[in-house]
Amino acid sequence: MKSLDPRVQRLPEELPPLQPKAPLDQFGSFEVFVQPKEGKPFQHEGIVHAPSLELAFVLAKEAFTRRFTCTSLYVTDTRNVMVSPTTEGNQNAYDLIPSVTEHQGGEPFEVYHLMKRGKQHLHAGTVEANSHEEAFSKAKAAFGSKQVFNVWVVRRSDIRFTRPEEQDLWLTLPEKKFRDASDYKGGDKLKEFLERQSSKS
Amino acid sequence: MNEQALKEFLYKMADDTLIIGHRNSEWTGMGPILEEDIAFSSMAQDQIGQSLALFTLLHQLGEQEPDTVAFMRNANQFHNCILTELPNQEYDFSIVRHFLYTTSATLRWDMCTHSSYEPLAQLAKKVKGELRYHSLHARTWIQQLGSATEESISRLQRSLELAMPYALGIFEESPFEKELVAQHIFEGEKRLMEKWLSAIEEVLGKTQLVIPDLKLIQPVLGGRKGQHSEHLQPLLDEMSEVFRTEPGAEW
Repeated sequence: MKSLDPRVQRLPEELPPLQPKAPLDQFGSFEVFVQPKEGKPFQHEGIVHAPSLELAFVLAKEAFTRRFTCTSLYVTDTRNVMVSPTTEGNQNAYDLIPSVTEHQGGEPFEVYHLMKRGKQHLHAGTVEANSHEEAFSKAKAAFGSKQVFNVWVVRRSDIRFTRPEEQDLWLTLPEKKFRDASDYKGGDKLKEFLERQSSKS
Repeated sequence: MNEQALKEFLYKMADDTLIIGHRNSEWTGMGPILEEDIAFSSMAQDQIGQSLALFTLLHQLGEQEPDTVAFMRNANQFHNCILTELPNQEYDFSIVRHFLYTTSATLRWDMCTHSSYEPLAQLAKKVKGELRYHSLHARTWIQQLGSATEESISRLQRSLELAMPYALGIFEESPFEKELVAQHIFEGEKRLMEKWLSAIEEVLGKTQLVIPDLKLIQPVLGGRKGQHSEHLQPLLDEMSEVFRTEPGAEW
């Protein structure tokens, strides 16, 4: 192999056989979806690390919903989120999804859209399908007329939802202003202090 | 209504939740993983918020301002059970203590929703959501770690045996037990303990942990009467340091 590109020179002639990777020494990740208000769609809020789906739900509740209003929350293992190709806005992500032969029925899959770069994925609707591939294909038929940057599909049975009796998790003591940095009025105190200092000198 | 009995009961609840809240807040920035650090700290804030609400009820009954009551008393004037003041030690002990305490607190608050003292019943309904989260959090960790690895199971078992005599001290009876029950302010520590036992048995039954034989355990009492371990006073000194240095301090 003769090339002037140093990156090519660094490649070994023959690649060593692949070794199985050591298991991760940290918890796996879970995707968190939050409904900020009754009637609003669920939105992707972020990620937590946890040893199980149930603990992911428990930890997500405080990590993402302790301050702002929230009516419901759910989580799923990151590995259960199937992701479509992403576009740069010049074309519809749905156009990059292959259509497959569709069958009747199946189980429910939740579909999410990324409507703008840098925003969160929003829940778009539900389709019934027999596999993730079929769910993408059916989502394309149902929602494909919209211009989207990216599509996610999650099997509903892979989701840990908020149970009806857990709705009161967000009914808490309302006097929580002390949790917000703004409540301590740090800027005002600093200004006062500096004014006191300058009037002394 | 017997006001002395009522006040004693409110002080006991307020002190329990203030002291456990302060202890749990000592994990802030040191939790085993970021997400758990946030969750544990957030619950500690809930608990301190609950103690403020209870001290406010006491203030309405003629006691001093909440800050004064929280920061200016000495250890022998506190009515918290000794379980809440024990040092955090490692996370296994903290999570077992959290489970044993929170299970009792959730049931106690739930019983308070039927209290004849209406302001307490109202408050109990308001904190229900917080308590539901605290017990979900505690239960889920115990079930996870109580059936995970040999190390996690043996650590939890050791902590359970260490904490149990103190946990029984939660239910130390008040001198006003009869009045509280007769006037429907609270159904009593005996009733609470029965409910607590069946609740912890239900959770621990799903794990490989074994509940120590309660007949062989001597409960550690005294906390409700102001007789505390050597660990409470240093906690109070630290908690009230700013307030005692400058009583008018604002932050």
